Amino acid sequence: MFLSLLLLCYHYLFLGMSKEEMSLSVNVNGQSKVPPGFRFHPTEEELLHYYLRKKVAYEKIDLDVIRDVDLNKLEPWDIQEKCRIGSTPQNDWYFFSHKDKKYPTGTRTNRATAAGFWKATGRDKVIYSSFRRIGMRKTLVFYKGRAPHGQKSDWIMHEYRLDDNTITSQDYGSGSSNLCDSAQEEGWVVCRVFKKKNYHKAVESPQRSSSAHSIDSTTQMQSLNKGGSVRDQFLVYVSGRSCKREMDSPSLINITTTHDCNPMQQFANPIDDRFMHLPRLDSITSLTTSGHLSSATFDQDSNFHAHASMNQFLTENEHSMNTSINKVHDTRAHEQLDHWADLDRLVASQLNGQQSSAKAMYTCYNEPNEDICFPLNHHDQEPQVHGSTSMVKANQAAYTSEIDLWSFAQSSSQSSSPDPFYHLSV
Amino acid sequence: MGDSNNVNLPPGFRFCPTDEELVVHFLQRKASLLPYHPDIIPDLDLYPYDPWDLDGKALEEGKNWYYYSRRTQNRITANGYWKPWGCDEQIINSNSSKRVGVKKYYIFHIGEGPESVKTNWIMQEFRLSDGSNLSGSSASSSGRSKRRSQSKIDFSKWVICRVFDHSCDNDNEEDGTELSCLDEVFLSLDDFDDISFPN
Repeated sequence: MFLSLLLLCYHYLFLGMSKEEMSLSVNVNGQSKVPPGFRFHPTEEELLHYYLRKKVAYEKIDLDVIRDVDLNKLEPWDIQEKCRIGSTPQNDWYFFSHKDKKYPTGTRTNRATAAGFWKATGRDKVIYSSFRRIGMRKTLVFYKGRAPHGQKSDWIMHEYRLDDNTITSQDYGSGSSNLCDSAQEEGWVVCRVFKKKNYHKAVESPQRSSSAHSIDSTTQMQSLNKGGSVRDQFLVYVSGRSCKREMDSPSLINITTTHDCNPMQQFANPIDDRFMHLPRLDSITSLTTSGHLSSATFDQDSNFHAHASMNQFLTENEHSMNTSINKVHDTRAHEQLDHWADLDRLVASQLNGQQSSAKAMYTCYNEPNEDICFPLNHHDQEPQVHGSTSMVKANQAAYTSEIDLWSFAQSSSQSSSPDPFYHLSV
Repeated sequence: MGDSNNVNLPPGFRFCPTDEELVVHFLQRKASLLPYHPDIIPDLDLYPYDPWDLDGKALEEGKNWYYYSRRTQNRITANGYWKPWGCDEQIINSNSSKRVGVKKYYIFHIGEGPESVKTNWIMQEFRLSDGSNLSGSSASSSGRSKRRSQSKIDFSKWVICRVFDHSCDNDNEEDGTELSCLDEVFLSLDDFDDISFPN
């Protein structure tokens, strides 16, 4: 019984080999034997299902299309030479790489080269083949230089690996269980390297037009994605990851997109230029205060609400408030961020699991506290914040995200007063 | 896609020729009666197929249909016509930097005359440059001197048509050389990592 199985397996292997030998007559190396007009554009499924599976099973691959590469010894700009297929111009290059561990005990992979290193970004994507999970894709970016100070490049790598349990579930001949084990130990991956197209560059440094900030930003957001909605994808991602509760309230959406009906519009006429140059996100925060401010005090509006929200966060902890304000001053001294970058950071802090603080912050903007009142003569005294001090326990971890919003506020008010926070400094 | 399977290539190879390849390799060699490999693009002559009828007749690869045809003044089909659009593009041979061909665009309209309706079907028609010096430009390919008789052939007669549905273009975005929008977001988030270790 067992013998016959073995024989069958052998038979299968033999047949497979002879078939391959026939098609091997076309040779890629040296002279191109790929007929004109043909490009190697494998689907993800082909990469995983055909090429990588053969690789881990030590089967010969027709044409030797995908080569083995030692990733640690190959700079991305040399890959195109090494991994050329035929003589036709290529935009993407493919190779097998053997993952070796950075540390014998750990699970991290060493992807450093002489000139830089590959750094993973985002989350791994699951690759399906006819609704069945067959592997994973990791996206990496090449940074020039050494770890903490690397300089991001446009070289992107998609690293495909087989799912741990994929091979056992395949009808891949009878010796399949062995293959599975070797696949895990060997750590072969198949990689696609390409250069990022840079047509989004213009969007990254948006021209601040003096009017209709929110509209601008919204259109920027829309132009960023082609057809689909980055925002939707992103929100789905965020909610899936950690922030279910934020999604229940519309606050997060407000933060990331700005309002369709912009509360700023009611103030649009009487305000002066300085106000017009307020960063976009202030329009959100002005929600909280708009009901309480006369237009006369509008110059300092951003001061007020930032101040107020800060107080809300911090009334329970005077000391930490002081330190955070100092921090704000520091940040302000050498940071001139544009609001998109700030938004990104805010989101980043959200993703990093500081949702408790972030949520509190959003709540504060979205449900304006009726009890906040602002003295007109704010230069002489601290703004009075009556009301819910129970909102947040200010914790140190929350400061990073708060400071981000602070930097909006103060950058906007810089023009109106020499030191908008002098009354806060202790 | 059936025809391209004649070419014995491993999985992952697709027929996506450049404009130059279409002209230099396929059109020039066809027009000069040189053998060319692979012989995968069918010759549909002047048959008035509607674009949706090309399936199974022309060479299909990745939502593109390729076929040989003849040069003609008006391309009228059973249900509409191909209307010229835009201006001609020159195809340059990158080796000799000579103009070897011309690419012309057409948009398919259903119906006739002023009541016709524009569709998303686009045709690119490749023809050889008028009076293109074929013997010179095909010098790089083999067997150049043996077929001097080619000069008698009307080179402008043949065209290659590439037909595709413009609205289907987005389907090809998963070809791997594009980053998804989500990846772009992550990339921008990476700028704010305080520590960046290779992992």
